[in-house]
Amino acid sequence: MIRILKSELGLTLRILFRQPGFWVPTVLFPAMLYSFFGASMASGGQGAYAMASFAVYAVVGVGFYQFGVTVAQDRENPFTVWQRTLPGNAAMPWVARVVASLIFVMVAVGLVLIAAWLIGGVTVSAPAYTRLAGACAMAAVPATLMGTALGSVASSRAAVPLANLIFLPLSYLGGLWVPPIALPSGINALSVWTPTRAMGEIAWAAMDGRAIPTRFLAVVLGWALLSGAITWLAQRRNARALFG
Amino acid sequence: MANKSTEQAIRARGLVKTFGAVRAVAGVDLDLDAGQAVGLLGPNGAGKSTMLSMLMGLRPPNAGQVTIFGHAAGSPAARAVIGATPQSAGFPEQLTPRELLAYAAAHHATPRPSNDLAEAFGMGALMDRRMAGFSGGEVRRVALALAFVGTPRLVFLDEPTTGLDSAAQEGFRTVAHEYVRQGGAMVLTSHHWDEIEAICDRITMIDKGERVLDGGLDAIRARTRVNRLSFALPQGRTPPDWLRATQGPDGWQAETTDSDALLRRMAAENVPFQALTIRPLDLKDVIARIRKEATQ
Repeated sequence: MIRILKSELGLTLRILFRQPGFWVPTVLFPAMLYSFFGASMASGGQGAYAMASFAVYAVVGVGFYQFGVTVAQDRENPFTVWQRTLPGNAAMPWVARVVASLIFVMVAVGLVLIAAWLIGGVTVSAPAYTRLAGACAMAAVPATLMGTALGSVASSRAAVPLANLIFLPLSYLGGLWVPPIALPSGINALSVWTPTRAMGEIAWAAMDGRAIPTRFLAVVLGWALLSGAITWLAQRRNARALFG
Repeated sequence: MANKSTEQAIRARGLVKTFGAVRAVAGVDLDLDAGQAVGLLGPNGAGKSTMLSMLMGLRPPNAGQVTIFGHAAGSPAARAVIGATPQSAGFPEQLTPRELLAYAAAHHATPRPSNDLAEAFGMGALMDRRMAGFSGGEVRRVALALAFVGTPRLVFLDEPTTGLDSAAQEGFRTVAHEYVRQGGAMVLTSHHWDEIEAICDRITMIDKGERVLDGGLDAIRARTRVNRLSFALPQGRTPPDWLRATQGPDGWQAETTDSDALLRRMAAENVPFQALTIRPLDLKDVIARIRKEATQ
């Protein structure tokens, strides 16, 4: 069991790490965007919030790009069909994917924190870092599920543009690039229902040491359930086509 | 202790698979014992791939059942004893053959050492190169090796030598023979008749989802003891009508079940034949003849 998981993880990580054109932008992009836009907010007393926003942005990005794209690619790949003839649990490749994505999330978030420290001059207390890590872990679940839902529905060719089409507006609408207070009021009314805003609110509360806002926790949960349901339905349809 | 069904490598009964209104496989039986190789034949779209995927446990049949050494196809116990060649498309090209073999080996209890496989399939120089840029034949060797990683008791080889050069094809036949001789069971699909003849002792032919021919190669040949005469004639001469000869690219040809009598009559009538050869029909032609007789 452990041996199989190790081999699945080794395979997944090797394939990903040997495509630097894929993973470098994925893990670097949030830190870069932070440096351009987030760091400038550091002076206005909003530094910690901006750092938390871009940390959430990194989590969602990895979920969308790593999961959305690789799930879509694997789905159409004859090699994954062959993998099913091997003995071992069919869930293992998924576990390996989740672990690989957590590694990417940690690197991407870590780079945002480093950029915040080096460029924005933002540091927070150790408990605040821990709370932020907790908020990111919480955000990783719906982010992963949303990416998987996208990858289960979209073709491999459509996955990247669709991820852009959904992820970038969601980041803006969620107030991850500019604080919600700076959003036009119409946009803000929409914003409170987005998963990115809800994840952001949880991360901002973590920065303040406030309790997790229940309303936004419910929004996150709702998106997670919706994505999970889409994934389940789409994967069942795909399995019928391939293995039915 | 062990009953017949657990000894059988494959026991398939009444397999049916429908896709919407299409009956891809319509009630096919298949039996295969250890130490046997069966060639699964049929034109494109006949239902071969669907049949294979049910035997490998990738698709559940709509009706009928398959057991692999007594275990339901697709069950962990069945998957533990089979090996299959992946299709050539979609290999993770960031990996080396050694890494892929190690990956597959981790799934099996008693894997074969990678270096053994490298030697058996002529991959020595390829083992540590990433597969991006491999030729079709090189990818095929890796695919073949992957089928044998887990010291399987039953292998499914789908078009195993497509793209291989003749030396590699020869190498594969040696490996396949040795595997079957040592008690391995094999299901082979191929468009090369000589390969089927060289490796398989049985064939099962599927057409339009139904089994149209099944049996040992010797028995199938014995059903039609037909020889083919090929000969040339001097310019301007035609063979007598009773010979029912046809002109092919290499001269005249006639088929007969009694080549002795035919030859005697040709000699008696002074047919001026030259460069005469007599040989049994190719397997391909034997089968074509049997099928023609069956449909008449």
